[in-house]
Amino acid sequence: MLVVSDLHAGYGLSEVLVGTSLEVKAGTVVALIGANGAGKTTTMRAISGLIRPSKGRVLLDGKPVQNLPASRIARLGLAHSPEGRKVFGPLSVEDNLLLGGYRHLPQFFGFRGQAARDLDRVYGLFPRLRERQRQAAGTLSGGEQQMLAIGRAIMARPKVMLLDEPSMGLAPVIVQEVFRTIQRLKQDGMTMLLVEQFAKTALTVSDYAYVMERGRIAIEGPPAELHKNERVLAAYLG
Amino acid sequence: MWKRLLLIRGAELLMFAVLAAVPLGVHNPYVLGLLTLLAIYGILLIGLDVTVGYLGQVNLAQAAFLGLGAYTAGLCVTRLGWGMPLATLAAIAVGTLLGGLLALPALRLEGPQFALATLSFTALTVTALNELEWLTGGAQGLSLARPPLLGHALTAREFYWLCMALLALVWVAMRNLLASQWGRAFEALRDSPIATDAMGVGTYRHKVAGFALGSALGGLAGALYAFNFQYLQPQTFVYELTVILLLGVVLGGRKSLWGAFVGASLVALLPNLLSNRTLFEIISGLGLLLALFAGIRGLVRRTIPPFQALAPILGTSVLVAGGLLVTNTEDWRKAIFSLMLFSVVVGLPEGLMGFASKFLSRLFRIPDAPLPAPSPLEEVLPAIQAKSGSPLLELRDLKRYFGGVKAIDGVSMTVLAGQIHGLIGPNGSGKSTLVNVVSGLYTPTEGEMSLRGQPLPVGSLFNTARAGMARTFQNLQLFTGLSALENIMVALSDVYRRSRSLPLVLLGLGRVEEKRARADALALLDFVGLGQEARTPAKDLTYGAQRFLEIARAVARRPDILILDEPAAGLSHPDMLRQMEIIRRVHQRGVTIVLIEHHMDVVSGLCDVVTVLDGGKLIAEGTPVEVKRHPKVIEAYLGEAEAGPALDRATAAPAPG
Repeated sequence: MLVVSDLHAGYGLSEVLVGTSLEVKAGTVVALIGANGAGKTTTMRAISGLIRPSKGRVLLDGKPVQNLPASRIARLGLAHSPEGRKVFGPLSVEDNLLLGGYRHLPQFFGFRGQAARDLDRVYGLFPRLRERQRQAAGTLSGGEQQMLAIGRAIMARPKVMLLDEPSMGLAPVIVQEVFRTIQRLKQDGMTMLLVEQFAKTALTVSDYAYVMERGRIAIEGPPAELHKNERVLAAYLG
Repeated sequence: MWKRLLLIRGAELLMFAVLAAVPLGVHNPYVLGLLTLLAIYGILLIGLDVTVGYLGQVNLAQAAFLGLGAYTAGLCVTRLGWGMPLATLAAIAVGTLLGGLLALPALRLEGPQFALATLSFTALTVTALNELEWLTGGAQGLSLARPPLLGHALTAREFYWLCMALLALVWVAMRNLLASQWGRAFEALRDSPIATDAMGVGTYRHKVAGFALGSALGGLAGALYAFNFQYLQPQTFVYELTVILLLGVVLGGRKSLWGAFVGASLVALLPNLLSNRTLFEIISGLGLLLALFAGIRGLVRRTIPPFQALAPILGTSVLVAGGLLVTNTEDWRKAIFSLMLFSVVVGLPEGLMGFASKFLSRLFRIPDAPLPAPSPLEEVLPAIQAKSGSPLLELRDLKRYFGGVKAIDGVSMTVLAGQIHGLIGPNGSGKSTLVNVVSGLYTPTEGEMSLRGQPLPVGSLFNTARAGMARTFQNLQLFTGLSALENIMVALSDVYRRSRSLPLVLLGLGRVEEKRARADALALLDFVGLGQEARTPAKDLTYGAQRFLEIARAVARRPDILILDEPAAGLSHPDMLRQMEIIRRVHQRGVTIVLIEHHMDVVSGLCDVVTVLDGGKLIAEGTPVEVKRHPKVIEAYLGEAEAGPALDRATAAPAPG
């Protein structure tokens, strides 16, 4: 569903990604782990078009998208839940979610049935959001904002979803809830690429994992195999 | 070292020497008049650059300060019969005073509101100069004769030298300022006003002082303007001049003395540019060539987006074509300004000097100034013998409501000296609000706070920082444009007394302390293992290093109590272990720490006591082990052990390696 090959990208003169290649098959969850500064977030930003890769290819459902602007890539079916959540603070929870479904806008005109179904799905996953649907997103707690960011991505009914650090700054009890949601989305057949500091937890929900070091993929394999790898165990699974 | 000095200072010396020598060879009074104007506008634009460049605010009042300075000097001469030095001092004083008075309310505003406030000040000034006919002569204007300087009547040539000498003085003083704690504070407050206050530097007072300094230079330029033209009219100092001055600073290049100088040449030349057809065509032609060159080069190398390359080419082409078609360029001057401003803003966002300095720095590789040897840690961060166990920070029944939301609802807690005190709780439980109230970012709705038995200042990050508290921020508040070393130097401001006085800094008396500050900051960088990254801009550091740097910067304040807001958030496992080690070492120096954190292994590994909040109320307090067994904590925060996979990770003891 998502194929990245030999991706180079960076900021200004400094190149962060030096030939990253990875693949996410339809219906699977793939984890991307690695140290701070290895290039995980940059990989996500380059895939979703927030920065333009200087070299390499990104295929979304077989279609090259590496030169398209982020808005086009999003409309083609890629949803990005960014690091630090980035919800639209002054807007209500429901407006945030409806904006997530923006790419289906023509269907929404005068007929909110589809939108209502999508909203119901999100509220089903996160009952807390239904309680707060009229509240401004900026006043939510960190955990609720994270749910909202994931919910907003779900609203797009994406082909592939990128989740960047969904557990960052969250209480353990909320982290567990977020991962339960990821598990449920996976059961529903969602294709996901997951960047996560809690590497061990990330591996429990993943079908395959990549370890990034200094801008490229250093080690890859199914979780069971990574658990046997001495180096991965020592450096990332603590 | 001296090679570096030669390259930087040599160019300045050469320029001033050439400018001073011109009237010896050229006897054309017209050229002399232009050069005098260049010196006056140079002073004026350096002053304007303080607000527009360094404070990052659009200031539309500089023309008014030029006018106020000019009229003050003029009236002192005509009405009071004062000499040149006294009249000039009076003009500077009026500029400083009115600048300060305008800045006090205006700098509480941001962006467009500040611009409008300064614009209305200009309107007010021009109206007052027009209507106070008994004083200023109104629209009739004010004539004065240039008074003698110390009994000596100046010739045009001598007056020019005086202006140039004053420009050189202002230049040197500004360079002293920018190389000091003040220059760094200006950079810092643009990047993060919150952190600037939290480091005890005082965002607001630096902005007001900066604006007053810029206005003082406006007053000085005004006095020289009056002595130069010897005839003043209120209409000279209206919006149009303001816009031209702004154009000068932006075109020349913000945040640069050279930029202000280049801008001043443009402002001085502009009237001639419009009346002299050939000159206009040459300049607009050069502009088009520059736009073509920079645009095509940028497009080929793909360093700039197409719009940024094409828009200035279009703008300058219209300028060239217009020059050929229009008969009277004077009538079109506003359109010409707009085209120039548009082309520059889009094409050269850093101005001519910003563009040129990129080239020059490639031609002449100026080596970085060598770093001094780090100071001994014992001097920078003396280990304090905290009276272990005595209450240091006490909160009594603290409340903070936002509308109907009770973010903190009656929290009482005591932090004992010499401890690491953990603060945990689910998201939205009030931890962040509590920290923001204690550190002075928010005002408490109710309740008492005291540090060492003294009531803690309320509602001011700056005053709380001065009282001995330092903090870090959950979502990093580094001064991104400054290097790692400079980030720490900003926080050292309390240690260096002399560098805090603006006049002393302008005289260059802050240099000695500057050297010491670098050595001290280096020691603190070594302390957190970033000694090798001293010159790296904070924004280019890895995420982990940014987290370490924030702690080093807070520690530089030598705080009694240090609040760490989620220092391990987003850190990978190895970085997290390193961060724990840093926190431990800070603690060993005798600093009491309040630690907010979600990683339970960090909390368990470091804290002596843990307080747990939920729904704005305290639900448990005790050692990490006690708290983890507390049923309420498990329910509200940790979750059930069987509930999910996250738990084994979240509660595991810190593993080696």
